[in-house]
Amino acid sequence: MIIVLFTVITYLVYVVSKMLYKKMNLALFHPLLLAPILLIAIISIMHVSANDYMQGSKFLSHMLAPATVAFAVPIYKNLPIIKKYMKTIVISITTGTLMAMISTFLLSKLIHLSDDFIVSILPRSITTPIAMEVSKEIGGLPTLTTVFVIITGIVGGIVGPNVLKWLSIKTPIAKGLALGMGAHGVGTNKALEYGKQESVFSSLAMIFAALFTLVWGSLIKSFI
Amino acid sequence: MKVLKVILQICFLHVFLLLGAVLKYFIPLPIPASMFGLFLLFAALCCGVIKLEWVDQGAKWLMAELLLFFIPSAVGIINYEEIFSIQGLEIVGLIVLSTIIVMGLTAWTAEKVSAAKKGESH
Repeated sequence: MIIVLFTVITYLVYVVSKMLYKKMNLALFHPLLLAPILLIAIISIMHVSANDYMQGSKFLSHMLAPATVAFAVPIYKNLPIIKKYMKTIVISITTGTLMAMISTFLLSKLIHLSDDFIVSILPRSITTPIAMEVSKEIGGLPTLTTVFVIITGIVGGIVGPNVLKWLSIKTPIAKGLALGMGAHGVGTNKALEYGKQESVFSSLAMIFAALFTLVWGSLIKSFI
Repeated sequence: MKVLKVILQICFLHVFLLLGAVLKYFIPLPIPASMFGLFLLFAALCCGVIKLEWVDQGAKWLMAELLLFFIPSAVGIINYEEIFSIQGLEIVGLIVLSTIIVMGLTAWTAEKVSAAKKGESH
């Protein structure tokens, strides 16, 4: 019963947020920012704790797993493009994943984060399930990592399009790779708004970034 | 009719998720079952074991509504009081800055490499 209730409420809030975002076209109305805020308000009125709510809406978070499987489809459909641009993809994602970890590490040191937080925040730019694996691998706290992954998604969905504009990035491959690399699934979702090619490259960036980060993670582990 | 098709196809995608979990059991790499499932589905599509039409609609729906599946965990952020403090603000700042660097450099690298490649082929 609770599961049906929270799943339906979450879905409705999500649909409303998406509509508002489309209408207002304001970054602050991004569904991943607006929907959780509305839901937090709703559950506090209902006197439901965040943990009970998450338990109740588990069905939705679970769908992230089949959604990850589903990314095989765009890869399969675009195999010729992938082969053609293999070199660009590998070089860009190597740069991206390394920069993500290095810049995150240096900035964490700058703001004096505790060691627990540092290892948990390192894999923040990749998709949730794999970020949690990497976090476990290098001794972080997987649930804390999820929080940083989500914040990265929200931030990436908002600043991503601006970065592309500032740098006047024109090619679909560069736009797609940057969005998928910088903001995992949320960036890939954004890339859908740009076009089909952008969305394909973004899915690829997301997958490659996850795999490369797994490799860097195990390298880091062997150094600790 | 279309809704039913999407639901059925999502159920079918779960078969690959399950197979992925089986594969993970035998291959002890730190890769989640869903990623193994992705590889298996990709291989099955390439070999023609399954047809694209069997999963296309379901996959499209899952990818289009991806944000929905992040929302429950996003609500869970309120469990972390640290995020709603000065340190939390610094962390958000860190993520903003690092994301700008990562996206900027990735896009820039991609444009440079693909432009160089175009030059080669001329």
